[in-house]
Amino acid sequence: MLEFDDRSDMMIRFDAVTKDYDNQTALRDITFSVGRGEMVFITGPSGSGKTTLLKLIYSAEKPDAGTISVDGWETGQLKESSIPFLRRNIGIVFQDFRLLQNKTVFENVAMALRIRGVGEREIKARVYESLKAVNLRHKADAFPKRLSGGEQQRVVISRAIVAEPPVVLADEPTGNLDPATADGVMRIFKDINAKGTTILIATHNRELYQNSGRRVIRLDMGALASEDRT
Amino acid sequence: MPAPYAFTLALRSLFREKWINLLSVLTIASGLLIISLALFTVYNIEAATGRLPEQFSMILYLDNGVQKETVDGAVAALRKQSAVLSVRYIPKEEALKELKATLKNSGYVFEGLDENPLPDALEVRLKKEALGEEAVRKLAADAAKIKGVKEVDYAAKFLSALHYLKVGMQTIGLILIVSLGAGIIFVCYSTVKILFYRRNDEIETFKLLGATPSFIRTPFLIEGAVIGVSGGVVSLAGIFAFHYIVLLRLSASMPIFSMILFPSRLFLFLPFAGMFLGVTGAAIALGRLKY
Repeated sequence: MLEFDDRSDMMIRFDAVTKDYDNQTALRDITFSVGRGEMVFITGPSGSGKTTLLKLIYSAEKPDAGTISVDGWETGQLKESSIPFLRRNIGIVFQDFRLLQNKTVFENVAMALRIRGVGEREIKARVYESLKAVNLRHKADAFPKRLSGGEQQRVVISRAIVAEPPVVLADEPTGNLDPATADGVMRIFKDINAKGTTILIATHNRELYQNSGRRVIRLDMGALASEDRT
Repeated sequence: MPAPYAFTLALRSLFREKWINLLSVLTIASGLLIISLALFTVYNIEAATGRLPEQFSMILYLDNGVQKETVDGAVAALRKQSAVLSVRYIPKEEALKELKATLKNSGYVFEGLDENPLPDALEVRLKKEALGEEAVRKLAADAAKIKGVKEVDYAAKFLSALHYLKVGMQTIGLILIVSLGAGIIFVCYSTVKILFYRRNDEIETFKLLGATPSFIRTPFLIEGAVIGVSGGVVSLAGIFAFHYIVLLRLSASMPIFSMILFPSRLFLFLPFAGMFLGVTGAAIALGRLKY
């Protein structure tokens, strides 16, 4: 089977995917797809399988059954050596931020480009542009510990988008933020999406997707409970 | 990963974890210094035993009243042997003269001696490379068959002792090199493993951002190399300090120490050996990265 096939118009496709942890089902027979340039919310209560679903997309987990395709990559069939190259097509906004505490904001964002082998001059230009997009240009030399939760979240978003990946995944991106800051973060996602990036946001915060006009996929105890547009 | 950035990461980590790295450097330096001292000892014993064969000779006692033609034939036969360096004919008169010279303080043993009891003899010196126990035994057996040769005498026990001394020293040297080399690899392994665990969160983030194994490994391998090279340089300084501070001073007061050789070029390999062992330890510590 091909590891990579970019003929599909679908950016993400799950086909009858099941994932178990120690005989406990995390996801059961999940089938859905996300088109290129679409912004979709994955919602459901805690433990419903949202994070597992995202992990399957960036190949931190392997499905026990079914197939997953991401921008033409069959993630279930990927060799370990190909996983880094799949992940370079995905910007990830982690729930726990995963910022490098001993590196400045600039260095944190630059890391996504260094990993891709981008030259120093280009790194400088793109990192400042990306920080400007999340309104953190002035915090480039600060260390993460000195930033508020909302600022740290925006650094993570900046790092996720700096390499301009075709897909951005966000796991509870507003989990620890006040409503005003959460609105700001959502505006950034909308801006990125407007430029053609496919965005998948996992959240249990109803206010984020209510009346957004976006597709919402609802999970309940690992099963796909509903799929509708708000 | 662009090489300069890998170096930057490695150097930052070396500085950040300076105490553990310094301890590793000193441990590696101690190990390499002991290896160097072992090599130094083996080298000197090899050199000393290498000079001993120059004193070694085989004596062929000839039949009584042997004719000159027979002696010439025996000499020619011996010179044809590839192991033979030189052959000297010692008439019995000369042999007695040499014996008297040797025993000049015990001249009474020759009192009442009417007739020369010594036989004519051939002294055979052997080439250095032919001085193996087996080769000498074979040559002695062949020489005993030559017409006119009555008896062959050589220092069999000396050769055997020399052989075992060399083998013993080489074995001890090899054991030291292998065991301390393994020890040094283990030190580098442990150091890099500790550094790796301390940076585990960072490495996990790198993986999630799309870093390849070589991007993650390269700074650690550089760290292993730097720690190993540093250990090698410190041990090099240590062995030269030993030469200048201990050996040269001892030679000045006790001339016997001036016979000790210091193979300075041999020790220039130490930084490279340190680098090799450091990188090996780091590579083993990193193992296979799982995604």
